[in-house]
Formats: sequence, structure tokens, C-alpha cells
Amino acid sequence: MIEDKLLILRFKHGSQRALARIYEKYEGYLLTLATALLNDVNSAEDIVHDFFVSFAQSADSLRLEGSLKGYLATCVANRTRDTIRKRRRQPDALDESIQIRSNVKGPQSIAMCNEGLQLLSGAIAQLPYEQREVIILHLRGGMKFKAIAQSLNVSINTAQSRYRYGLDKLRTLLDGEV
Amino acid sequence: MTQIESVEKLIKKINVTPRAQMHDKTLNDALAAQEKSKNEQSANIEPNIWRIIMKNRITKLATAAAVVLIAVLGITFLDKSVPSAYAIEQTIQANHTVRFLHLKSFIEPNDEPIESWVEFDARGQLKNMRLKKPAWLDPEDGETIIVWKDNKMRLYSKRKNFLFIMKDQEIAAQVLENIELLDPKLAVERLKTEQEQGKVEVVIVEPSNKSEPIIVTATNIEQDNEPFPRAILFVDQATRLVNSVEAYKLEDGEYHKMVTVEYYDYNQPITSEMFTLDDVPDDAVLMDETTQEIGLLQGDFTDNEIAIEVVRQFLQALIDEDYAKAGKMWGAVPADRMKKAYGQTRFIRIISIGEPTEIPAMRALKVPCKIEIEKDGQVSVWEPEHSYVRQVHGQPERWAINGGFYGI
Repeated sequence: MIEDKLLILRFKHGSQRALARIYEKYEGYLLTLATALLNDVNSAEDIVHDFFVSFAQSADSLRLEGSLKGYLATCVANRTRDTIRKRRRQPDALDESIQIRSNVKGPQSIAMCNEGLQLLSGAIAQLPYEQREVIILHLRGGMKFKAIAQSLNVSINTAQSRYRYGLDKLRTLLDGEV
Repeated sequence: MTQIESVEKLIKKINVTPRAQMHDKTLNDALAAQEKSKNEQSANIEPNIWRIIMKNRITKLATAAAVVLIAVLGITFLDKSVPSAYAIEQTIQANHTVRFLHLKSFIEPNDEPIESWVEFDARGQLKNMRLKKPAWLDPEDGETIIVWKDNKMRLYSKRKNFLFIMKDQEIAAQVLENIELLDPKLAVERLKTEQEQGKVEVVIVEPSNKSEPIIVTATNIEQDNEPFPRAILFVDQATRLVNSVEAYKLEDGEYHKMVTVEYYDYNQPITSEMFTLDDVPDDAVLMDETTQEIGLLQGDFTDNEIAIEVVRQFLQALIDEDYAKAGKMWGAVPADRMKKAYGQTRFIRIISIGEPTEIPAMRALKVPCKIEIEKDGQVSVWEPEHSYVRQVHGQPERWAINGGFYGI
């Protein structure tokens, strides 16, 4: 989008208004992505918060080759992946899928997520993260497989395979529910 | 619909609404981090902004602000460590009370200045502005009066006798941002940065004759990529306010004056009539983008697709001699005016419409195209040089022609 190009230009020149506008424009989108990936609104909020604080300081080093939206989505996805890895490394951490399922039923998640999507969220949480990531980035993030593959450092075929396997599994999990 | 498609559709609907509390915290933290980062880094932003503004035809309004900016550049260059009875803080302090400005900006080698009147609110932010743009600055539009009020821009071109009204948050933000650079508080911050980095050499001459101005010459040590590496300020000894600023470029080892900004009537209240355009002739063509739908709805089209479609429909309307539609595609140009501009040419057929390319400085897409036309009995191929399409100001879901095909 041309507006995004201008925003980035102004952001790189130190504009606070540009930063605020970028934030206002993409906050919901990024929070949705992170929440869908983690199935945990609180952690997603932390990721989006930390990302924007870091992004705010990146004016000098920022080099955008693609779209701003894609860049932001990739950054948040990377941070989300790191969060998942950290959880896995923690010996006393709860099983990821169990934790996610328990979180999604918390009052805050229910209040913040669209009604009727909890079932889907629970099913997505049961997917291997690699498949979940491709599905969410493609369908909700609007990213093309090529961009996803590049950000994950895998081939396009691998990204598409993860997408297909993940969707098949979702269909099975949600059999008769959608 | 298969079950897979249903799942895909459902995933696309996932939406999480940010909580207000977290929203504010993140925004505040991000802005604070940006500010801290700016103070720590060498934010040499002013010349770049100057270049952007001068390239951007849409924000011509900001030209005056950009010229004023040079004055701020000069302030930025000052070094308070230079021994002198005069200190830059005195000027900054004096600026705190300035609510009204009247200034003339002379750009070499033109004699006629850009003249502007600016009113700031109590917080130092732009409230109203009037700008008289001489014809040399934009021969196509000729002498133009631009008034900025309530985030709405009214532009009157004498040569074309049209009044263009637009309201656009993005451009509003950009204009406000440029004016914010005049904020003395921000100037102090930049001053500190420059002081710490030792980027400038400053010479201050304070004449004993109090009727003569203090002359402050600031020269940037790192002159690469600086469009105006030297600025000279003339400061009134009594008021400590800047009377004028000269900006110089460096060419072949010599400084050449490029811009002079002269300040008049500090804090003389400007009448509200100056910030209206009531003196426009009754027969002026009104192009009001704030009251009607213009161009095409983007819908599911990508930016490139909608740009191509706008051009296609615009050209087809000319072929069909449907000037009302062509006017709507252009941006609220009345049909009779479109006919006057295009009616002498017979548009025969569209030969080709190519892939658009982005013109970020204009916030537009350039759509190359070829049309077979007949004019004065001669058939030829017309390739418009400036075939731009853009999002409609204040109607970002719609796209329209951005001028440049024929003059209207």
C-alpha cells in the first residue's frame, strides 16, 4: 500500500505520528495473528507489545523489501515461534497443547475472541506448531506461500505441504462441527 | 462448499480486539522507546524531509513549512558553547510566545516569494495556514492560494480557475508533522543532539550597534548529503527573534545562497478572513472531494488491479464521450470541464495498459498506457507521460485519476 510506504518513510524520519498510525493500523491484525498462533491472549499481547517497542527503535536499521504488513506479520510470527521454543525448553512447563486449551477457555479469551470461534481455536491448538503457523499466516495473515516459506527458511513445497496436512487434520478435528 | 473451505473461511474470520488498557500501554511504551532512540542516534532528518516535501506535488501546501524548516535547521546548528552575550535559548524562549507568523520565502533565482500566514494554537501546533504560491513554483497550476483550516485543504488555482477541496487524515498528519518541526521544544532537542555530536561550527557576530542584527553563521562539518550545509540567521537584538534566515548550498567549494526566509509581524493577530477562501470567483470550477464519491471502489482488487481498472474506465469513458463518468474517474471534475479539455480529441481505442509502478513521493501508481487518438484530422498514438492513479483523499477505499493525462 502506498500509505504504508509513506508511513515507513516518515517513521524512518522519526515521526511519532507515523509510528502511532502504524500501530493503530496493525495492532489488531498482529494481536489476532499472535493469539491464533499461541492460543493465549495474554502472551500474544506481550509479544505485540515487545515487538512494537523494539520496532519503534529500528528506524535507522529498518530495510523493507516487501510490504509493511508482511514484514510486521513475519516479525510477530518469529517472536511467537521463539516463545513456543522457550516454553518447550522449560522442563516444568505445561504441555503446550494442554496449556493452550486451558487458556482459551479463560474468561478474557472468551471475551476478546469472536463468539463461536473457541472450538476452532482449540482445534488449531492441537496442530503441530509448524502446520499451525503456515495456516494462520496464510489464511489470517494474508501472506503468500512464497513469503511464508522465505520467513521460515523452507521450500514453498514444504510450506504448502504443512498447510495441506494441517487443514486435513483440522477438518478431522472439527468433523461435523463446521 | 467443502468442509476444507468452511474451515478456511472460519480461520479468516478469527479476530481479536485489543484491550484499551493494553493498547495504550503498548503505544506509550513504543513512542517512549522511539523518542529515546532518536535522542541516542544521529537523526539527521531535516534535509531528507525537505527533499521529500519538494518532490511531493500532493503536499504542495507543505512547501512553505519546509522553507520555514530551514530556519529551524539554522537554530539546530547553533552551539551555545560559543562565547557570546547572545544565547540560542533566548531565541527559543522568545519563540515560545509566537502564535502568529507571516513569512516570505525567496528561492533563488526567483524574485517572487512564497508567502504564508500561520496561526498556531496554544500548544504550538498548526491551527490555520494560508499560502500564496507563485506561478513559477508550479507553472501548470499557476499562482495558487492554499488555505488549511480544520484539517481541510482548499486550493484555488487562478490560471485554471478551479477550487479543489480535500480532507485527508494522512496528508493532514503530514502537514501537521512538518509544522511541528517549528516547535521550539523540538528545536531544543535537535540542538542538544547537534551539540553532543559536534557536527557544526558556529560563528556569532553581535554588533555593538543594537539596531543591527546578531549574525549567526552555522556550518555543518559533515557536508556530504546536506542540501544546505550552511545557514545564516539574522536575530533581532531587542526581541531575540529571528528576522531572516539564509540557507546555502555548497558547490565547487563555494557557498551559494539558495533560500531566504523573511519573518514579518511576529504575533500580529491574523484576521480569520485570511484563513477562508471566500474571495474565489463564482464561476470557479468546484472539485470537492469531501462531499461526493469519486473514482472506483477498490473492493477485492489489488492496488495494481484497481489502478489499471481506473485507467481503463477513464479511457473508455473518453472513447464513449461520457464526460460525466470521465470527470468522476478523474476526481470530481464537472462534465462540461472535462468536455472542454478532452472534447477536441477523438479517442479511438485503447492500445495497451501496462503494469503500474509505484511513485511513493506522490502516493500514486503510474499506469503506462497507449491510446489511439485523432486530433485535427491526424491519427496518432498518445502515451500520457503522467498517467497517475491514487487513492482518493479521505476515501481510501476508492481510487481515481491523479491528473497528468491532459491539463484540465
